[in-house]
Parts: sequence; C-alpha cells; structure tokens
Amino acid sequence: MPAYYLEIAVVVLGLVLLLVEAFTPPQHKRRIGWAALAGIAATFLLLLTVKSHCGCDSPMWQFYDDSSLSLFFKGLALLCTAFVLMLGLEYLPVLEKYSARAGGGPATGEFFALPVLICAGLMWMASAIDITTIFLSLELTTIGFYIMVAYMRRNVGSLEAGVKYLILGALSTGILVYGLSWLFGATGQTGLDAIRTALPSAARGPALFAFALILIALCFKIAAVPFHFWVPDVYQGAPTPVTAFLSVGSKAAGFLVAIRLMEPFLAVESLRTTCIAILVAVACATLILGNLAAIPQGNFKRLLAYSSISHAGFLLLALASDRHTGELTSTRIIAFYLSAYLCMTLLAFAVLIIINKSTGSDELKAFDGLHRRNPFLGFATLIAAASLAGVPLTAGFLGKFFVFIAAAGAQQWLAIGIAVAGAAAGFYYYFKVIRHVYWNTAPEGAAAIPVSPVAKSLLIILIAATLVLGVYPQLILGLL
Amino acid sequence: MLSEYLPVLIQMITATGLAASMLILSVVLGKSGNQSDIKNSPYECGMLPIGEGQPRFSVKFYMVAMLFVLFDIEVVFMYPWAVVFRDMIVTHTIMFWSMLSFAGILLVAYLYALKKGALNWKE
Repeated sequence: MPAYYLEIAVVVLGLVLLLVEAFTPPQHKRRIGWAALAGIAATFLLLLTVKSHCGCDSPMWQFYDDSSLSLFFKGLALLCTAFVLMLGLEYLPVLEKYSARAGGGPATGEFFALPVLICAGLMWMASAIDITTIFLSLELTTIGFYIMVAYMRRNVGSLEAGVKYLILGALSTGILVYGLSWLFGATGQTGLDAIRTALPSAARGPALFAFALILIALCFKIAAVPFHFWVPDVYQGAPTPVTAFLSVGSKAAGFLVAIRLMEPFLAVESLRTTCIAILVAVACATLILGNLAAIPQGNFKRLLAYSSISHAGFLLLALASDRHTGELTSTRIIAFYLSAYLCMTLLAFAVLIIINKSTGSDELKAFDGLHRRNPFLGFATLIAAASLAGVPLTAGFLGKFFVFIAAAGAQQWLAIGIAVAGAAAGFYYYFKVIRHVYWNTAPEGAAAIPVSPVAKSLLIILIAATLVLGVYPQLILGLL
Repeated sequence: MLSEYLPVLIQMITATGLAASMLILSVVLGKSGNQSDIKNSPYECGMLPIGEGQPRFSVKFYMVAMLFVLFDIEVVFMYPWAVVFRDMIVTHTIMFWSMLSFAGILLVAYLYALKKGALNWKE
C-alpha cells in the first residue's frame, strides 16, 4: 500500500465526520469525537503496515516522500491528533459553555472533525518534498488552526487569540510564499531534489534572501524569537486541547519542513557559514528570551507557551549543528526531541485540562496542594515538569543531552553556554510548578479533583512514555 | 533582463500617478472656492445623506460572499482541466477521478453549509 493512501483515508474520514456532524442531534456530538478517535487509531495501525516505497510507478513520487523519516513524522502527527481528540473529549464541558450558537445548543461537533483534517495536513507536510506541496499542506493545517483557536466564540480570550493568530499566520504565510518564489526564481525548480542540485550555481544574493524569508516564516510557525509575539496570547486564549495541538503537532511538522527546506542551503559551501550563523543567532535569541520570560509567569498556559519557545531554541540549535555528529544526525536528534516533547507537553496540558475542569482556572495557584487533592495528578505534574526541565531519567533530559552533544560536535561553544544557562533557568520555573503542587497548601475547603478513567489511562500512557524514552531512546532512534 | 519588466514599472508609475494626481488635484482645486457644510457633504444623487458612512451589514452577506468565493474558485480549477480533458482522458483516466473527488469534496461542503443553514436568508 502506498503511503499516500493514509492521507486520503484521513481526509475522507474528516469529510465523513463533518457530514455526519451536520446530521447529528446536539446531545450525541460526543460520539463524533469517539468516531474520530477510532478512525485516527485505525489509520495509525495502517501506518504500521506501510513499507517505504512500494515500487508502484506514480507521478506522486515527485511530490511525495515516504522514507522512514516521513513515516515517523506521520506517526507523530497521528498520535498527537489522537491524544488531542481525547483531551477534547475531556474538555467538552468547558467547550459547551463557550461555544453556544445564537439560537440553539452548543456547537461541539466540528471540534472533533477539524483536528482530523488538520492531521491530514500535518501528514502531507511530513511527506512534502516539493515547495508547492509544502505550501499547500502548511495552509491546510494553518487554516484549520485558525478556526480551532477561535472556537470558543463566547469567550473573549479565544476570539482575541483567533484574530491574532489569523493576522500573524496570514502574514507569515505571505512571507513564506514570497521566500519560496525567490527560491524558485533563483533555481527555476520546485522539487527540493532539483533545488538541491540547482542551488550551488544560483546567484548568492537571491538565494540568501530566499533563505532569510523562509526562515522568518518558519520561525513564526515553530515559535522562535523574534517572531514569537503571538505565542503566549494565542496559547492562553485558545481552547486548551488546541493549544496542545498547536504546540506539539504544528511545531513537529514545522520542524520537519524546516529540516527539508534548510538542507539545500546548508549543503552549499558558499552559503553554509552564513546560514549556520543566522540559525545559531536565532537559536540563541530564542533560548535567552524563552527562558527569561518564562520565569515570572503565573499562568500555567503562558508558562507552557514560553517553555514551547525555549524548546524551539534547543531544536533550532540541533538544526544548526548538522553534519558533525556521526551516528546521531541532527535529524534524528530533532525527531527524538520532538517525540519527548510530545509526551511531556501533552502530559502537562492533560493535567491542566483536568484541573481547569474542576477549578475553572489556568493559574499556577490552582495547582496549590494538588498532591493532597489528587496524588496521581500531582505525580503526573511532577513527571511533566521534571521532564520539561530535563531531569535525568526522563525523556526531556535525553533530548537536551543529544542537542548538547550535537552542538559540541559543531563547536558552537557560545550557544552551548546560553543553552546550559537556559536549561538552568528552566529548572527554576518548572520546579516552581512542583513547589505549588507539593509545598503550597490547598485553599480552605478545596475539594478533591476527580479524574475520569479515560483521562487516567491517557495520563498513564504519557507518564510511561516519558519515563521509557528517558532510559531507552533507542525505541525512537531505531525507527529512523 | 530587467528591461523586460519596464512595462510593469510604467504601469505602476501610471497607477500611482493617476491616484495621486486625483487626490492632489481635488485638494488643490476643491478648496479654492467658498465652503459650507452643505457643499462639503458627500453628494448622494441630490438626497440628504442619512446614517453613517459605514453601516453594519448582516452577517448573512458575508456568509453568502464566502460561499460564493468557495464555489466560484471551483470553476477556476475546472476550466483548464476541461480544456485538456479531451486530449488527455485517453491515456490518463485518473484525471477524471481526481476531478470527481474534488467535486465530491465540494459537494460535502455544500451539504454541510445547507444543513447548517448558511444559505437560509430568512433567519
């Protein structure tokens, strides 16, 4: 079976869900979520049966890559979507409150159909090796996200986030198209393979200009400084499952696109030094600002937004340190880092959703005395924060460790210094969360926080994944 | 090579020049005569203007406009397809199915819009 059948299956699933949703009575909208989850899970099982390049001759292979790296990122997209759908089911009460129609009940069905279509976009992005398909798939995900971010239309914060994301997303898309058109103008090719062969003979000025524009647009997508301004506000305002999706799914696919688009530039000796210098500078700025700005945050969602920025800094540093690392290529490091990031970030967001459902607050104060109100949730927060900070034996530690190895191989000593300082600052603000959970006492009369069986199984899976990846990274590295 | 783009440059200069000259001339010539409130108000076929310049439109207009754009673009894609259809269908039957699936996606969108009452004007 060729891999692109998977995308077709996911698109069809999304369309069917959308159509079924239109004919489902409001009280049964929850079933749409379960159907979407079942469909995504089935696609994931199908993905396991796909072999790279089935040999069938199709014009598709000019635009479509099905190497193990692409399949891996498809898997990441599917897993992320499945988790987000589960989080969405958990988040349903909050959603119902804020998504009421003018004359009728809540409108929650599309909340489960749209992630499926976004997932199709992410999967396309994982395979796109032509600048046209890269752009199309990027748009498919981004337009889906525009709707998802503004989904809670009775909530001012969500609307504000939607407008900000729409305007800045459209701006970055415009910059990306402009950059891609310069790349096309400099090389006369749209396929990345052809661009790689044509780029060494292209004029230096247009090529560098294209690089700069593409990097700017991708920095918007992956939340890197200085194009990070939308991140905290959008993350805070968007419905929490969407925030999780944005920070994991969108970032993972964005980084794969970045790897693919940067690679031709880094392969040209005359451009390489300049491009690396720009990448390292962006990485350092991202690390400094992401970590420093996270320190004073009192809102857990904003904290995770800045944490997402600082993780983007580490990933960019890995991207800038290619070629020097032998067995651990920067692509594999990024793939591992993103898997670790998926587990720990989704874990943090899952905890947040459960707490928000009981307390109605996203503030760190809502975590006060969590270990007494629900010891298991407290433990989950501990694992998430420890892994995000990079405590040894968790997935987050190994991710950062690999990045340091790669950066040391590339002799980026200044960047390593900044990254170490950033990681140290990370310990401070992630452990602040742990302090709220274990040291602070709960306010008077605070009730225990219930956890539904679905949420509990989700938490257990994510905790186990975070810990297992922390001691056995070969699980991921072996796949590539 | 750049000289090929000279017409584009001339076009840009003409466009900006025309717009700028209209604005500047209306300021230069229009402000020289006597002025009164009536003279300065916008001319609406001789009627006295009522209400604001930008009234609020019902969201229905935007809905219909958006749907129109969506389904109108469909034709843009179909046109080049139809031009080469007769020559290529003999060797590439896939071009028929790809357009059919494209139309199918639009059909789903149409049914969805219909069911959600996006085309319901009375509401």
